[in-house]
Amino acid sequence: MASATTGSVQPKSAPANAAVSGRPRRGSSPRRRREIRAAWGLSAPFIILIAVFMAGPVVASLFMSLTDMRAADLRNPFAVNFTGLDNFVKLFSDPIFGQAALNTVYFVGVGVPLTILVALVVAVALDKGINRFRTFFRVAYYLPVVTSIVAISVVWRFLLQPDNGLINTVLSWVGVAGPDWLKDSFWAMPSLIVMACWRNFGNLMVIFLAGLQAVPRGLLEAAAVDGATGFARFRLITLPLLRPTLLFGGVVTGIGYLQFFEEPMVMTQGGPLNRTLSVSFDVFNQFGFGNYGYAAAMSYVLFLGIVLLTLFQFKLLGRDND
Amino acid sequence: MRSFPTNRRTALGVGLAAGAAALGVGACGRSSGAGPAKQGQPISSGPAKGALTMWAMGTEGDKLPALAREFEKQNPGVKITVTAIPWDSAYDKFTTAVAAKKTPDLAMIGSTWMGALASANGLDPMPPGLIKPADFFPGPMRSTMVGGATYGVPWYAETRVLFYRTDLAAKAGVVPPKTWPELKTFATALRAKGGARFGLALTPGGEGSWNTFMPFAWQAGASITAKDGKTFSLNSPEMVRALDFYRSMYAEKLVPPTQPIGQPVQDFVAGRVGSFVSGPYDMTNLADLGGPGFKQKYALAPLPAGRKSASFAGGGNLAVFVDSKNRDAAWKFVRYLSQPATQVRWYRTSNDLPAVTSSWRDPALANDKYLAVLGQQLTSAQSPPAISTWEQIAKSIDGAVERMARQTQTASAAAAQIQQECQQVGTGV
Repeated sequence: MASATTGSVQPKSAPANAAVSGRPRRGSSPRRRREIRAAWGLSAPFIILIAVFMAGPVVASLFMSLTDMRAADLRNPFAVNFTGLDNFVKLFSDPIFGQAALNTVYFVGVGVPLTILVALVVAVALDKGINRFRTFFRVAYYLPVVTSIVAISVVWRFLLQPDNGLINTVLSWVGVAGPDWLKDSFWAMPSLIVMACWRNFGNLMVIFLAGLQAVPRGLLEAAAVDGATGFARFRLITLPLLRPTLLFGGVVTGIGYLQFFEEPMVMTQGGPLNRTLSVSFDVFNQFGFGNYGYAAAMSYVLFLGIVLLTLFQFKLLGRDND
Repeated sequence: MRSFPTNRRTALGVGLAAGAAALGVGACGRSSGAGPAKQGQPISSGPAKGALTMWAMGTEGDKLPALAREFEKQNPGVKITVTAIPWDSAYDKFTTAVAAKKTPDLAMIGSTWMGALASANGLDPMPPGLIKPADFFPGPMRSTMVGGATYGVPWYAETRVLFYRTDLAAKAGVVPPKTWPELKTFATALRAKGGARFGLALTPGGEGSWNTFMPFAWQAGASITAKDGKTFSLNSPEMVRALDFYRSMYAEKLVPPTQPIGQPVQDFVAGRVGSFVSGPYDMTNLADLGGPGFKQKYALAPLPAGRKSASFAGGGNLAVFVDSKNRDAAWKFVRYLSQPATQVRWYRTSNDLPAVTSSWRDPALANDKYLAVLGQQLTSAQSPPAISTWEQIAKSIDGAVERMARQTQTASAAAAQIQQECQQVGTGV
């Protein structure tokens, strides 16, 4: 963009132009205009695509969040009332949204660290401890990531069944009467967190494995020669070197978990008593009710949450020494 | 680098201009007031002509072409294309089609969606004199009326009744209950003497549980909206009484506290549940699960009455869209489908219960003791108000039903909460 107006054409087109015209390049005005036109022409497809499919919907949803638009207004989308920040004000006195926000914080607060921890432990085990059947384990741990949520929900519902589910059957062997996991207002959320962790840690495991393999062996060997124990080597060498990988894993998992939707959708429908209703699910419901303005406002609050969580993670794990 | 800020300013300018344009038009706001109830335009006489497209869900969509062929025979020159669409995505498909002004000519429409689609100005008001409203069951007929105008014709009806195990009832020495206190003694007896684990099963919350609960509310004399049709009357003493009765069924452990998928039908077949409240569709499920002989072991009974007899009236309506290019022919097909003889034929084709009362005099329906109960219940069955925000109101009631089943709230607190929630949502009128 900048080069086009200052007269220095892109390196790619410069030799081509010179070859065709055979003239030394001048900053003549008609020619410059032609170049500018060509530049715009070449970038037009992308600009149009972005404007129509990305910027357009974003502007539209922002507009929507400031109006009282409902499904019935779709035939005439501009005949709605501009309500300013009313939707956002209303959100903060909406007890169901409050519950959904709390649930989401609970899910992210427990789910993200748990998933990272499990993925890290498994990655270290695969990197160091397990030598036999390594490929088998890698595939096995990754399998849930590529399995359809529908199939997963069927299996997990069987596992979590109150009377004859596998988990409660095993618990009954040691004399514990397990709860009705998905219908119990205390246990429903932990059940979903464990399920989400099981489903997602494979992804992080692969990323962490790559990170672990990038740790220079020489450093570890030198530390070993100096008498550092295995745990000390892990804490003082591996972990600091793994920090960028951990940050990436945390950000990606955090963004995914904040939008947590599929698990309650297929397992609990947000129940019991809205205890597993996530913000995304609430947005989905509100769109379903036709409250487009209100739902759009909710999505922007969720978006703000994602930005804040990501900033927090950068603060926690990002580079602070350079 | 010099040009960059300029470009950014341009982009920002374009964005602001677009936003301002949007807001500028938006500032015009919606037109105030709903205006007088819309009047349907009359349709031409004579046979129907031209091409028609129609959407219908589930079995109806699969089996309707049989009737469409018949109509085409009676009206040479008309051609009907029926598109079957799945129930799950039907509501979204309709709202999208109405918004995009790309609708079929007519469609089968879930009875609780009328309010939303009519308020979106998607439906054509019914032509005057097309049908006689008095020929139809009152509950289903009411579901076609939005804001004083009629936007469709009931096609088939369904309702909620009491399914009970005749063998267990005989063993316990009880007959189907006629009142609320009798329902409790009935459930207690089926458990204590009939050998069932639970005498009765009700829906303990979750989507659609208002279908099971609202009959009790209507029986108590409660109403969802106030007389003006614009505000709610969900915290009435009648509503509290119904919520409290529902809650007491759980508090006294007369009904299963939760309902896993596939229940209570499986438990009913196994004899673990003595009775449950459900609709005619479960007759098919019971036949599938219990085998052909199971029909000897159960019977239907009207729901017990509170202050009066009542149940939930659901089903499918027929409606024509305003964007139809061939509305005269579409309404003529609707008229054909709602004639008593066609309704009987349709029952034989699809097992859908006729919405026209006189069709029930046909021997195919009148001689069936199961259907007789459904037909009797339909005369007192009620529809929820056809308002555009209904789905959200239903969700709020579902929430109260769940809190009653779990006894996390008193009946009066639940009534106050749904009233407050629903008032905030509004009726969309």
